[in-house]
Amino acid sequence: MASGHAETQRVTGALPGPRTPVGGLIALVAIGLVGFSLYGVDFDLVALLSGAGPIERFVSEMFPPDVSAGTLRATGRGLVETFQMSLLGALLGALVALPLAAAGTADAATIGASRRTRLAGAVPYHAARLVLNVFRSIPDILWALVFVVALGLGPFPGMLALAVHSAGVLGKLFSETLETVPERPVSALRGIGATRLQRLLFGRLPQAAGACGSLTLYQWECNIRSATILGFVGAGGIGQEILVAMNLFDYPKVATLVGATVLAVLAVDRLSAALRQRFAA
Amino acid sequence: MSSSSSSPSSSPALALEVEGVEISFGPVVALADLSLTVAREERVAVIGASGAGKSTLFAAVTRTVPLAGGRLSVHGEDITTLGPRAVRAARRRIGIVYQAYNLVPQLSVGLNVALGEIAGRSNRSALSALLRGPGAETSERVHSALRQVGLEDRVGDRAGDLSGGQQQRVAVARLLVQRPDLILADEPVAALDPVTATHVLRALAEAAEEGATLIVNLHDVSLARRFPRIVALRAGAVVFDGSPEELDDEVLRRVYASDGVIEEPESRFARDLVPAPLHDRESYGLRAR
Repeated sequence: MASGHAETQRVTGALPGPRTPVGGLIALVAIGLVGFSLYGVDFDLVALLSGAGPIERFVSEMFPPDVSAGTLRATGRGLVETFQMSLLGALLGALVALPLAAAGTADAATIGASRRTRLAGAVPYHAARLVLNVFRSIPDILWALVFVVALGLGPFPGMLALAVHSAGVLGKLFSETLETVPERPVSALRGIGATRLQRLLFGRLPQAAGACGSLTLYQWECNIRSATILGFVGAGGIGQEILVAMNLFDYPKVATLVGATVLAVLAVDRLSAALRQRFAA
Repeated sequence: MSSSSSSPSSSPALALEVEGVEISFGPVVALADLSLTVAREERVAVIGASGAGKSTLFAAVTRTVPLAGGRLSVHGEDITTLGPRAVRAARRRIGIVYQAYNLVPQLSVGLNVALGEIAGRSNRSALSALLRGPGAETSERVHSALRQVGLEDRVGDRAGDLSGGQQQRVAVARLLVQRPDLILADEPVAALDPVTATHVLRALAEAAEEGATLIVNLHDVSLARRFPRIVALRAGAVVFDGSPEELDDEVLRRVYASDGVIEEPESRFARDLVPAPLHDRESYGLRAR
């Protein structure tokens, strides 16, 4: 406007311009939130830099890593257990997730239906969604604490914790996948009289199967990472070995265990990525 | 021939009876006081510009959109008052072919065709069909339907791997397995080349041969002229209902006026590229009746 071209509006970028009132407000709120959070966590750069010494000591005490036969055996045992927990956790989770996701999938078939029919359809939908939300919103480490209290120490409660959390995550992702498949083949089945279950089995599931398989593999990847932590509350896996070694100040052993964990997670990431690519093809 | 002036009371002799039907999507009026009757075994082409209400009419017949007003009877049954079970039974007697084929691309050709029959089964029987196959009798019907559309050797292929024309023939084969009394085809050949379009239209006419009623939505007026009766929609109402001879330029101008088309919108490919037999109005047996 300053240039006198009141009629021609400037083409702006994707970000809101700082000179627009909305853009200015967003920037102010963002800066405020960052400041509030920095204050809340006692952000202290000096402390971080002066802490470098103890960290260096801790790391240098880890070297050379302990590669004695006993440690390697413990590492192998821990890794295998972690692998078993994560795999079963993902599979069991997917098995529980699928029916819940199916019940929690919205379907456009309520047109012309009576209020009672619609209500009857809404009850399982919201019940399934609620169960999935509870499964998912409680972190797996809390589930592990619950199952350790109920069942005692060991990998079994850990696996159950992973399964419940996986079911919650996968259930939500599955139901979203089922809802977003191309709708036309599904409504074509509806047009020739297919029931809701038949539309799910023949219309939605085949279209969503590849994506659901890929999501399950990804969940397995996440479970491997989570399973290393669950040992800290006594729920099995390599984390339990790490915790014990830490408590005994056996840092060289910790180095071996942590190094092996990093390698295992990387390997599973690669394997899962390769498998998922095959699913997508 | 035309039964557009028959009595308003529901009669089982009529395949379709639409009376003052109104349908709106929000502020958009899709069908405005539309009335139409189609006798059993009739062959009707429905034409009209995009948005004239052709597809909405089909959606209303299968009750996949709610009616804002009017009455709609299929085979003498008022479908607006049916309960869920009866709606399902009514849908089982209606076969639909879509412009976009709408097969499940991940399933085999054979299973897609078998769905024409499986969709009428109980849930338990359908589940077993998914896991173990649909059984010997249905398999035989699937094979003979695929033979009829010339795709018998593709029974085990993934439906999504087929070409558009082949997928549309699979959709027609599904219809053959379903054995409906009323066949609705919504722009079945709009996405196909002229030769494939011929195959598909012929297959549709054959599917309707055993006593079914056939209603086809068509963009292509030259293809519509091969039907003994043409119904033209404009802005959700019938503006023409008669024989192809009565469908002159004046009428066409009226039908397509809203989107500025002045010339007869007979597609160029239909006039210039289609092999001679397609212009023969007696082909497909459409006009034999």
